[in-house]
Amino acid sequence: MGFLPEVNDALSAESLTTLKRNFGLAPKVYRAQMLRPDLVDAQVQMMDRLLFSKGALSRVQKEFILLVVSAENNNSYFPALHCQTLQFLGVKPEHSQQVVIDHREANLSDSDVVLLDFARKLASSPHSFTDSDVESLRKSNFNDEQILEAVLMVGLTQLFNCIQMGLGTEPDFKPRIIFPVKEVNPPVASERQILEPEFSGDFVSDDPDFEIVERVRNGETDAFEQLVRKHGRRVYRSLLGIVGSPEEAEDALQDVFFKAFQHLPHFEGRSRFSTWLVRIAINTAQQRVRSRKEFDRLDEEDEEFRPRNIQAWTETPEDFYSREELRRLVEKEVMKLPVKYRVALMLRDLEELPTEEAAASLGLSIPAMKARVLRGRLMLRESMVQYFSKAGAGKP
Amino acid sequence: MISCRDFISELGNLLDEDVASEIREQLEAHLAHCSTCQVLYDSTRKTLRIVTESGSFEYPEPISEPLVNKVMDRIRK
Repeated sequence: MGFLPEVNDALSAESLTTLKRNFGLAPKVYRAQMLRPDLVDAQVQMMDRLLFSKGALSRVQKEFILLVVSAENNNSYFPALHCQTLQFLGVKPEHSQQVVIDHREANLSDSDVVLLDFARKLASSPHSFTDSDVESLRKSNFNDEQILEAVLMVGLTQLFNCIQMGLGTEPDFKPRIIFPVKEVNPPVASERQILEPEFSGDFVSDDPDFEIVERVRNGETDAFEQLVRKHGRRVYRSLLGIVGSPEEAEDALQDVFFKAFQHLPHFEGRSRFSTWLVRIAINTAQQRVRSRKEFDRLDEEDEEFRPRNIQAWTETPEDFYSREELRRLVEKEVMKLPVKYRVALMLRDLEELPTEEAAASLGLSIPAMKARVLRGRLMLRESMVQYFSKAGAGKP
Repeated sequence: MISCRDFISELGNLLDEDVASEIREQLEAHLAHCSTCQVLYDSTRKTLRIVTESGSFEYPEPISEPLVNKVMDRIRK
């Protein structure tokens, strides 16, 4: 069942023939729209002209565009349907599935990889699409008619994905492989949410790293070293706040910079580079902890916290301990905080990021960020009473 | 008059010195007669100071050479 009641009117004979010829059935996504059979006919015609009929791109190229764009939208309905269709065309299901998961690892020709990169970029970041993207296709010997078809195929797929997701249409048959959302396009899709934290939707014009980032993007790989040196500490701290062990944080730090380097072409400057980097760090750390099944989810709702242990503290409680003792004590107690409060507190009070930047790094709203930091501070205060209250000061 | 609960919900902004003057006045008026919130405010402020100045989880700066090299080697591959 979808979100709207189904209407059992028959499809027009023409649409039914076209659909059966190509899919072997009339897919539910069309049948779910029978309140407006005229619009179904229009969609089927569009599909027939653009995808099923002979054009400038091959049928398989167009089908692959549909697959990568659907994957970009985390839509599993269309890959299930079209992997089946591709099988009719002689493409093995494993091959189609690999295109869905990561087309760059699917043994495609160089020009097909460029074509699918193009499609994926247009689908995921249409606002940053420029003539240089079109130029990349020309360089791979695609002609203007083929480029037009590629753009139309992306648009058509977006339309169909949107219709299916908007109507909640169930798959027509059990998919051979169900692609869990997070496994579709693993390196980018799972990070896409973290790649472009937004402050306000505007581009950040005062990024101090702008120039170095541009140099790296223009091929000067060695310049990346400056970014590693400059931000290594912040990345390390963000990682340590989640993973807990210095060795693992160092290991994860390498992953973070490697991912940042790989994805730099997708970085659009909607946040500072450093914010983007911290967000990658947090995502990377979360994935590691999640794999250890210890992770308490960062997006759980905050319940109210009531402070207890209301005992007066000494005036300068830190005087009772050496610097080294204080450092160890803070580290020990901070590590006991639930991870979501720990990370928030570390970014704000140890890394001293402004609220806006810390919130953007964590993908939180500013009120949610503030609530977490306060909760972290209050919990930490609670655990510090034993060391710093008038009754407890100086006791280890 | 604001409650202890209202005070706690504004405590973060107060610690960050990010409250409008009329709210600050209300918070200070509350503090003047609520010893529980006084202790809470004082101890949380001190916690924050201790944490910020503790140098905890510090990474030796600059980031260690071998680590930079490992990162750059992986990128250049």
